[in-house]
Amino acid sequence: MGSLKILINKNLKKLVKEGKMKKGILISISVVLFLGFCGLALALDYPTRPITLQVPWPAGGSTDTGARILASIAEKKMGQPIVVINKVGAGSQVGLTETARQKPDGYYLGFVSVPALNTIILDPERKALFDLDSFVAIINQVVDPGLIWVKADSPYKTLKDVIEDAKKRPGEIRASTTGILGDDHLAILMLEEAAGIKFRIVHFDGGAHQLTATLGGQVDVSFDNVGSVAPRVKGGQLRGLAVMDKNRSKFLPDVPTTVELGYPTVISSSSRGVLGPKGIPAPILKKIQDVFLEAMKSPEHIEKMEKAGLAIVPLVGEEYAKYLRAVHERAKPLVEKARQAK
Amino acid sequence: MKKAWQITCIVSIIIGIIMLVSSFAYPYKDRLGPGPGFFPFWLSLIVIVLSFALFLQTTFSKAPPYGSGSPLPNQIGAKSILIILIALAISTGLIEFLGFRISLFLFLFFLPFFLGTRSLFINLIYALIGSFGVFHVFYYWLKVPLPMGILGL
Amino acid sequence: MEALQYWIQGFSVATLPINLLYAFIGCVLGTLIGVLPGLGPAAGTAILIPITFNLDPIGAIIMLAAIYYGAMYGGTITSVLVNVPGEAASVITCLDGYQMAKKGRAGPALGIAAIGSFIGGTFATFALMVVSLPLASFALKFGPPEVFALLVVGLSLVTGLSGRSILAALLMTLFGLMLAMIGMDPVRGAPRFTMGIPPLYDGVGFVPVVMGLFGVGEILLSMESPVLEVIKTKISDLFPKKEEWRVSAAAIGRGTLIGFFLGLIPGIGAIIPTFVAYVVEKKVSKHPEKFGTGIIEGVASPETANNSYANGAMVPLLTLGIPGSPTLAVLMGAFIIHGLTPGPFLFKERPDVVWGLIASFYLGNVILLILNLPLVGFWAKLLEIRYQYLYPGILLFCILGAYSLNQSIFDVGVMVVFGVLGYIFRKIDWPLAPTILALILGPMMERALRTSLEMSGGDLSILVTRPISAVLLVIAAIVLISPAIRLIGQKAGKD
Repeated sequence: MGSLKILINKNLKKLVKEGKMKKGILISISVVLFLGFCGLALALDYPTRPITLQVPWPAGGSTDTGARILASIAEKKMGQPIVVINKVGAGSQVGLTETARQKPDGYYLGFVSVPALNTIILDPERKALFDLDSFVAIINQVVDPGLIWVKADSPYKTLKDVIEDAKKRPGEIRASTTGILGDDHLAILMLEEAAGIKFRIVHFDGGAHQLTATLGGQVDVSFDNVGSVAPRVKGGQLRGLAVMDKNRSKFLPDVPTTVELGYPTVISSSSRGVLGPKGIPAPILKKIQDVFLEAMKSPEHIEKMEKAGLAIVPLVGEEYAKYLRAVHERAKPLVEKARQAK
Repeated sequence: MKKAWQITCIVSIIIGIIMLVSSFAYPYKDRLGPGPGFFPFWLSLIVIVLSFALFLQTTFSKAPPYGSGSPLPNQIGAKSILIILIALAISTGLIEFLGFRISLFLFLFFLPFFLGTRSLFINLIYALIGSFGVFHVFYYWLKVPLPMGILGL
Repeated sequence: MEALQYWIQGFSVATLPINLLYAFIGCVLGTLIGVLPGLGPAAGTAILIPITFNLDPIGAIIMLAAIYYGAMYGGTITSVLVNVPGEAASVITCLDGYQMAKKGRAGPALGIAAIGSFIGGTFATFALMVVSLPLASFALKFGPPEVFALLVVGLSLVTGLSGRSILAALLMTLFGLMLAMIGMDPVRGAPRFTMGIPPLYDGVGFVPVVMGLFGVGEILLSMESPVLEVIKTKISDLFPKKEEWRVSAAAIGRGTLIGFFLGLIPGIGAIIPTFVAYVVEKKVSKHPEKFGTGIIEGVASPETANNSYANGAMVPLLTLGIPGSPTLAVLMGAFIIHGLTPGPFLFKERPDVVWGLIASFYLGNVILLILNLPLVGFWAKLLEIRYQYLYPGILLFCILGAYSLNQSIFDVGVMVVFGVLGYIFRKIDWPLAPTILALILGPMMERALRTSLEMSGGDLSILVTRPISAVLLVIAAIVLISPAIRLIGQKAGKD
């Protein structure tokens, strides 16, 4: 492209010298239009090689599962393979750092789970190398409401039981999360504030450990998300005490919401979506969004996500960016509270 | 050999001291117990103590633990080792610049040559399969991203 | 007996030609994944999940499970042939497996690994059918304090790998722990010792380090005495000798039990059973000093434990839905995508799936054996390629493995640096295995300790007030102190 321009300029200069100026203007205008069109065509050419979709969580977890389902369906419409890779570490900080520093050419996209994204940025101890502006919000896939649960033979039959016990023995009831400063952790803090109680908070690395520990009686009550445990609650292995959302989850219609139980401020969810490094050209961005949105609406995607217990809530582009900023604001005071407790 | 063990012990003590000092930058205690600075602190202390103990044992014990033999490479080895290390360093440096296929083609073509093979033709075939062939399998079949350099290779 | 009826039903499902085909494909793919660098079984299995989307649930699960234990065997192949473990569980196999290969006995090493894996896996499968919830529930009692104590025991066993000097072995272990400290602290995420280099936020990766220390380092070492004449292996050399069968049998027996029972404990990962089995074998052996020089029990033991662990770990997975390792977590993710949730629910609602799967494990083990034994000759022949081509090829394999992990050139650099370090340590005869073990177990230990303290509200005594962890810590103390006591005893005897 560069050499073409030089060639054109040389000839333009010749034309001007030869007094064919007017023709020169005509030609230069057409050239500019032509080059602009080329740029557009280049974008429309996208993609010409496989695209990397990075998941900052371990393979097999619910974020990874959702990502792989989406990738396998979207790649058919994209025309190029979408390769899912896992870049695990520090509660997604490693993966996010990587996504932020990639070239914004549309060939490297990253999954993100929120509020992990926000808490990493907000916690100065984490020394995050990125912030919200390092990314462009592409599309959201899942919104997974928080769930408070216990094992099936736990003495706690309702959320009220837990809260009463916590009042009797402050700081002794062990409440578990799937990650420090994750949505579960922030939810516990919200509940503590709303009910005036204090838990002994225990953090695990992901759902599998938390499940083992709860079933083994190492902790008393657990905070996680519907998608991770819905099948087991349905199966009777676990008991769901409350869904931290305004409406009941369609996967667990028998579990009351925190709103119903009298704690309307305890709303928590984990959402997962796709981000890209800031600066992806608009036409490429649009193509990615269109393809992913179409994939999310496809019956195959809906069916597989249903089976996995994950609720699809597509939010595209600016809508998603607004959502991320809103979560960011809500998380700020909670992160402060968590840090002071440390 | 005795010297080699002694040197290693001393290096180990130095590393231990460095880690000990660095660990002061991280909080030793947390609200709940050990903070990020806890483990490095004790670890580096134990390393220093044990390295010193091993140094003493190596230097003064009547039944020293080190074996006979020299820690230095022999003649044949030294040359080949150097060749391999240089080849590795160059390829590593080039792999993102020239791309996987070209860098490893060069690696697989020249390294056997410098190690003493005769037939450049076999080298060529081998290098082609190892670089372009392997790339194809990994990138297109297994979907493992591999670097493509400025020439798009 | 109801179980028998289910068992028969399970076999009828597993032996459907289509399911046998899936199992076969799974074994092949799994072995390939295990052999290929950088693609750990977890990532490899995850990559193959979409292939199973178009299959029926039972077929899909059968294929995925086959991929899982196929990958385990694939990891063994690389450990024996090039001293690079395909995954963490195969590290111990390198110790004797590769030495056997250097002596021209790669055949027997791979063969006994296949046979041991088969026996271990088969036993574990039968036990899986008989063992039910009570045993699995016992395993649930292993909370963070018990896991911490178990890991301490695990690390203390390095004294069993010490070779020349116990102090040196301990120092190498500590080096591994120091390496494990680099990166983000596992609980709070605060970066430690990262010296401002972004890739180090993730820590020094296990794969580049092990490929460097074991793979590249070994090649550098080999350059000192390059095999100038290729040793042609005869067919008879492909089989273990008569005396070897006998000691292997005992090793296999022990390895099977150790692997299976440790598999019941969720979350400890596959390296501990192999390590424990190896050290136990060494301690009961009549010639412990030969371990590490290439004796067959050194391969039979960890390999059997490996496979029986893999099947044993299916117990918590199927009965309670708890994955014992990252690869099993991927497997479970796949189950869920196909609409099957592991847990007691699954046993009741879909016995056809569960028992079909279990029967398929057994058949999978048979298929692996049939698949791999004939290939042993092929692998052994591969080692006969002249070193000028073989070693660069192995280096290619290592570069590929180190790079493809994170698409990071930094990892390749790490590998080269550790290659040099590995060479140096081999020359002065300091053992490398403890470093790798510590690198893997270190973060797990730190996390377990801090979670234990969260559970107890900061009280360290939780480690000794809980019976299981207290017992384990005492064992660890004994293991660590006994060599010192023996040394003092010897000195006292001399005086």
